[in-house]
Amino acid sequence: MQFHRIWGVILRYNYLFKHSLDRQVDAFYWPTVDLVLWGITSTYIASQGPNANLAVLMVVSGIVLWIVLWRGQYEFTVNILEDVWNKNLINMFVSPLKLSEWIAAFSTLGFVKAIISTGFASLIALLLYHIKIFANGLLLLPLLFLLLMTGWWVGLFVGGMIMRFGTKVQNFAWSMVFIIAPFSAVYYPLTALPNWAQKIAFIVPSSYVFEAARQVFVENMLDWNKVIIAFSLNILYLVLALMFFKSSFKKVLDRGLVKFQ
Amino acid sequence: MHILQAKNLTKRFGKFLAVDDVSLSLKEGEILGLLGPNGAGKTTTIQMILGILTPSAGEVFYFGKNLSSHREEILEQVNFSSTYTNLPWDLTVRECLSFVSYLYVIDDRQARVKKISELFLLDQILDKKISQLSAGQITRVDVAKSFINFPKVLLLDEPTASLDPDVADYIRKFLLEDRQKFKTSIIFTSHNMAEVEEVCDRVVFINHGKIVADDTPENLAKTIKTAHVQLLSLKNLDRIIEYCNKVNLENKIEGKRITITTSEKQIPSLLQDLSSQNLGFEEISIEKPSLEDYFLEQAKGFNRASKKSVTSP
Repeated sequence: MQFHRIWGVILRYNYLFKHSLDRQVDAFYWPTVDLVLWGITSTYIASQGPNANLAVLMVVSGIVLWIVLWRGQYEFTVNILEDVWNKNLINMFVSPLKLSEWIAAFSTLGFVKAIISTGFASLIALLLYHIKIFANGLLLLPLLFLLLMTGWWVGLFVGGMIMRFGTKVQNFAWSMVFIIAPFSAVYYPLTALPNWAQKIAFIVPSSYVFEAARQVFVENMLDWNKVIIAFSLNILYLVLALMFFKSSFKKVLDRGLVKFQ
Repeated sequence: MHILQAKNLTKRFGKFLAVDDVSLSLKEGEILGLLGPNGAGKTTTIQMILGILTPSAGEVFYFGKNLSSHREEILEQVNFSSTYTNLPWDLTVRECLSFVSYLYVIDDRQARVKKISELFLLDQILDKKISQLSAGQITRVDVAKSFINFPKVLLLDEPTASLDPDVADYIRKFLLEDRQKFKTSIIFTSHNMAEVEEVCDRVVFINHGKIVADDTPENLAKTIKTAHVQLLSLKNLDRIIEYCNKVNLENKIEGKRITITTSEKQIPSLLQDLSSQNLGFEEISIEKPSLEDYFLEQAKGFNRASKKSVTSP
């Protein structure tokens, strides 16, 4: 792997971000809307009963942490789509750029943008609801990384689908990640899910992460068992998603990059 | 020594055979024209040579090394420009050149971008977005981009398409000069046959996915036996047309001019006949067969074959 090539790809998408209002809106506007809308809703509901602060904390922290996962996958899927729309993939792959370097660039972008978007959302949470999401920052760090990992494998999987089926599945770039949201128990405890959904949640790594995060917020302790399970599942899915992405790219080369674009 | 060798390249898309056992080579400092009608297999061949399409069979070697096993090392010294790729619309010209420069090993990238901008007269548009440029300017940026790594092998697919004649001329001269100075080897496709004749040392003609000719532009043109005789006749044009139709000579009228297509050997007897029948004319020009005639002849064959394959059960 050559760092300068990874940096070249990162530059390309950063320039795009700089010029694209769409991408900036995705990064800052929607997280803010989510926080304002759901934060106020949960504040109202909570005000009707006891444990008001806990309910608001669960929803607001769920929104902020979800951004990490969402951002991790978004940098894969939407950037791939941008290059398909722009017919720019050929410019990249007639160069010595390797598939692994392309993936490394997406992962790095996911990491950096997750920090920016999450940081921004935490600030909004602090200003609007006086919630310090990262008051237990160190304990949350492993969980944030696990969410990013989940975002990566979802991104690789959806990116692979876009390569196989082209722009007819482009909607998945934004929507696919929300399939795992209900099973991740982002805003509610896992026990709130019906039995059949709990069985699915059992194999969704982010469900362990959000459970563990709530424990951090409420009890100020991290359940390492959950961390280990989520990490193992993430590694498994990451390997499978990488294999799928690689085989999808091979299929693209069988058909030809020109035809794919 | 051959800088590039494509050996027995074949590509099948399902049952369709797009490229059939194509082998070609490129010497150091050579400019090779790759010609053929639309759908003949040129783009497919170029894609395989670039490694962005996996061949069904065959191999590509650059500098004696196999592309599939030495991709990174080879592509460091190769580049490509085409009308069927785009540059990212939202980026400025400077940003485009800058990000592409990072995909190659270049010592001083800023200096290289500056140098390329000067060479391709991009200074005035460096900070404009690609989406704000004219088609000709985009083509110029795309060709400039392909020089960012000062490649040893360059594949150019219609590099002068949509350029103003003076800029197209500048690019052609630039390519010839670059070849002269740095012995860059170039594969060049174009629909402008005069341009191919001017720039290319050798032409490979592809038809139905197969190489049907591989020779210099002059030699290919010589295989065509017909020439064009153009006459300007102010008084006798109608009678000349009548004469041509009577003796079945292909002709085309433009104003007071008639262009007669006939075999080179028949020209003296044609002129003698016109003179004996008092069919006078004010001006005459004889156009020898060109690469364009060769292309048209081959394309006619291609179209006939295509129609036949469509109508046959």
